[in-house]
Amino acid sequence: MTTAAIDAARAHGAGTRPGETIYRHTVAARTTHWAWALAMLVLVMSGLQIFNAAPYLDASDKSDPARRVLAFDSSTQNGHVVGTTQIFGHTFTTTHVLGYTDDGDGGQDARAFPAWATLPGMQDLADGRRWHLLFAWVLVVALVTYLISAAMRGTLRELVLRPSDVPKLLPMQLYYLKLRRDPPPHGTYNPLQKAAYTVVLFALFPIIVITGLALSPGVDAAAPWLTWILGGRQFARTWHFTAMVLLIGYFLTHIALVVSTGAWNNTLSMITGWYRLKEHDGVGP
Amino acid sequence: MNRRLFVATSLSALGLTACGPVKESLTMGPFRGVLLSTEKLNHEVIGTHGMAREYADADVDLEFRVNGLDTPADSTYTGLVRNTFRDYKLRVDGLVDRPQSLSLAALRAAAPRTQITRHDCVEGWSAIGKWRGVPLATVLAMAQPKLNARYCVFHCYDVDESGTRYYESLDLHEAAHPQTLLALDLNDKPLDPDHGAPVRLKIPTQLGYKSAKWVNRIELVADFAPIGGGAGGYWEDQGYEWYAGI
Repeated sequence: MTTAAIDAARAHGAGTRPGETIYRHTVAARTTHWAWALAMLVLVMSGLQIFNAAPYLDASDKSDPARRVLAFDSSTQNGHVVGTTQIFGHTFTTTHVLGYTDDGDGGQDARAFPAWATLPGMQDLADGRRWHLLFAWVLVVALVTYLISAAMRGTLRELVLRPSDVPKLLPMQLYYLKLRRDPPPHGTYNPLQKAAYTVVLFALFPIIVITGLALSPGVDAAAPWLTWILGGRQFARTWHFTAMVLLIGYFLTHIALVVSTGAWNNTLSMITGWYRLKEHDGVGP
Repeated sequence: MNRRLFVATSLSALGLTACGPVKESLTMGPFRGVLLSTEKLNHEVIGTHGMAREYADADVDLEFRVNGLDTPADSTYTGLVRNTFRDYKLRVDGLVDRPQSLSLAALRAAAPRTQITRHDCVEGWSAIGKWRGVPLATVLAMAQPKLNARYCVFHCYDVDESGTRYYESLDLHEAAHPQTLLALDLNDKPLDPDHGAPVRLKIPTQLGYKSAKWVNRIELVADFAPIGGGAGGYWEDQGYEWYAGI
């Protein structure tokens, strides 16, 4: 369906009643959605591979154990190797889960994240970097493509949180918690969805790209202010990791909601573009 | 937990566990060409521009972390250490008009440069050191590279357990950068053997593995493919990027 046809359909008020099928996601939105899904999978796994080479994070410019916020380690205690995770000075035993884990070759080794979570599986910093630096481009190209196409189509307006949505955030959360019978009236996306998409598109994605670039000595020489505003190179690494944790949190919430609000309808709509309206679903900003 | 969500999560976990062989074959298979192609793009986009940040004396790591291969233990190198590098000569040859053989005294006599810069290791850690030495550009100017020279190859004294010798290379643009240094001193003392004595490269605009230690010869070449494994350096031959600005 062409852009003009979608607009015409909307103008005629088509697809605003439950059970009706509307064309919701453009080709650009669907393509970039799956590009992000793939890029995030590859970037997280290859990022953990890279992280394993120096499994600690400091809130500083140069490495500084006195400013360590997270560290994974392994040591021998009473003849047994144990893996530990240290967060803000608190140490937890995490043997076989974190710190001392599956090496991808049938054994256990002193590695922060296990082989199943990393790309490649076995310890391989060089190829982890190759994967990471390729799919960083996939993430950036998808982000720019999506923002340009959505801005031109006008669909960005449906998705961005506005001041008028803020009072609806709490009622929407109460509805999700089943403490309220009906959601507040809203357009294509509800206020909590808008908040999540706005944070991901305009904060987390840009932050994870910028903090990643700040780790590059070449970028650091060309734009030293970038690393400086982030608190230094090791701090940039800490922010980069934090943004990843938040994006994983977003992803898990996203999956939970996709499944709980109609996994088939939601997934199909992100493949074909066509979405079957449910009760309370709106269309528009 | 929602039953469908539980099933979906379990299936994904199972998928991730089973995909070990898939990950290895994607990394080493036909897709490898695509994986390697990003390096050219990053080199084009980021390149070597501007100056690495220079720090104050107070920022220096007095115990600078030792990295890289083991300190050379062969008789050639230990012999040099024994007579405090009096017999050491840095050779500069290959595609040059005036091949050089420079003693430490000659290197120290050249206009020195001191820089306090951060060393960023490919593993992720950083350390700050005060480096003093001769800009590589100064030494190249003495040797006068020929017009067809494109790269400096740094041959080193260190070898790994399998006998493979360390080497590195830079293009002449990176070599001419004012902060690309042939370092002789670290933190106001002559380099000790563990830190690459008597001469090491220090290039703060790229990751640490480019800063070759124990340099004994700089060879100017048109192409580094015939040297070592052909990728331009010891770590590059093992899959690391030749352009290490990111």
